[in-house]
Amino acid sequence: MSVQVTEDQRDCYQEISNVAMGQAADKLARLLDVYVILPIPKINIISASDLHMALAGANTSDNVSAVCQGFIGSGIAGEALLIFNDASFTDLAKLMKYEGSLDYHGELELLMDVSSVLIGACLQGIGEQLELHFNQGHPVVLGQHCQIDDLVKAGNHQWSKTLAIEIHYEIENLNIDCDLLLLFTEDSVAKLNEQVDYLLD
Amino acid sequence: MSKSGLEFTEMHWLMDVLQNIDIGLVILDRDYKIQLWNGFMENHSGLRPDQVHDKPLFDSFSNIPADWFKQKAEPVFELKTRTFTIWEQRPYLFKFKNYRPITGRAEHMYQNTSIIPLESIDGSVKHICVIIYDVTDIAVKQQDLAKVNSSVAISLDTPSEDTPSEDTPSEDTLSENTDSTDDVTNLASTTDALTKLMTTDQWQKNLAEECNHSSGSLILIEIDQPEDTDVDQQDDIISKLALLLRRASRQLDIVGRLQHNHFAIFLVDAQAKTAVNFAERVRSKFAETAINGDLFTVSAGVAELKQGNNDHLGLYSNAEKALRHAQGNGKNKTTLYQT
Repeated sequence: MSVQVTEDQRDCYQEISNVAMGQAADKLARLLDVYVILPIPKINIISASDLHMALAGANTSDNVSAVCQGFIGSGIAGEALLIFNDASFTDLAKLMKYEGSLDYHGELELLMDVSSVLIGACLQGIGEQLELHFNQGHPVVLGQHCQIDDLVKAGNHQWSKTLAIEIHYEIENLNIDCDLLLLFTEDSVAKLNEQVDYLLD
Repeated sequence: MSKSGLEFTEMHWLMDVLQNIDIGLVILDRDYKIQLWNGFMENHSGLRPDQVHDKPLFDSFSNIPADWFKQKAEPVFELKTRTFTIWEQRPYLFKFKNYRPITGRAEHMYQNTSIIPLESIDGSVKHICVIIYDVTDIAVKQQDLAKVNSSVAISLDTPSEDTPSEDTPSEDTLSENTDSTDDVTNLASTTDALTKLMTTDQWQKNLAEECNHSSGSLILIEIDQPEDTDVDQQDDIISKLALLLRRASRQLDIVGRLQHNHFAIFLVDAQAKTAVNFAERVRSKFAETAINGDLFTVSAGVAELKQGNNDHLGLYSNAEKALRHAQGNGKNKTTLYQT
């Protein structure tokens, strides 16, 4: 099955993501009491090898951490992937008002807290626009407990290209650098397109 | 199906299921007072719903750190999003016994939790539901894997009196894979536990294969003076160098730890000049990296494998000659093997 998105549909995804991000940024700003620089999501069709490279980076170098979380709702399934630069940890701790020491355990704690908030806010925003309710699985920290190569190898057989929404988060005055990737499965894209066509009409 | 569409009997069934399902459900109000408590919670905690109803969670379960839990729960109230905790963060939220008290190895139940918002009629969130999943089996398997894989250095935040030491994987449980499963043994025999680089066997195999169809350059690196230091310090030095090499090399390069402090990197398709630059970069970077306050150096030997030549053993011995030359001429140097 090949993934196809028309220009109109793509614009629509862009618009939905923009609105969702606006809402998410507003929520984050209120919860964390900071100014979130409103990110412009990028809508892309990415290939498995692109993802493999991003994940391999998280696996081999020690300066990136990643969290992934599955979501599913009304036949639309996918995974949210949050990739952090480890240099962000001290500022993340400030942001989340975390006071413990920043050892492995402290970083895990931060990763989980931040990813719950960032992924949750964004998924909820998109779900509301499309009138979908997503169930979310438990987050999994990649590169610390999984052999990423194994994960991606298995994934390679299931899809070659898929729809990705990329969001780069930045927070004013803090050195926080993280990317949120929402990846939809190939068969979900057809259903998403239907949903979007409904909005377009 | 909407709530109003549920017939009375269906509602009754649903209640029965929620009461009996093997997942813990707790509903809390804004002041963290327990409002509802299903059968799972009742049976595992030994507290009846009427014993906990309207009592603050942190009073009934004093070992739940209030600040920690509130940090997870506040976004649920404020943002109406879900939050999650996993057993790697804290092994459990509620300290329950292992569901398999006879054959299970863990002392307590490992738990993942989801915290979900419950909207009131006016759309605000005044209550949250904490859902408790029993993940003991997963946690125990994961910890076994971690012991062997050694890449995991998690310190479980468990009260010390009930933590059997083997439950806490640490960096100390490194190379020995005594109680491993088959998968794990396989992994452990190809990857060096301390450095996550290839082991000697694996490295040689990959090199021989790569030499058959591509050219490249081999770099051998040795740490100059690790003998004067104690074992922990040596491990730190070796890990640091391995980290530098992992960061500097590309995905396709073949990087291995061949002996105690002897590392080898085959740079695929790289000419001698590139390889010398690579080695110099690693050497100078390492020389300025303080490890526990001390500075150390490495020496490197480089040899190039020309296109069409697949003599990997010759290549190795050339690189070794270059390395010995660098070590014999004052160390902290890179030498290129010249034919």
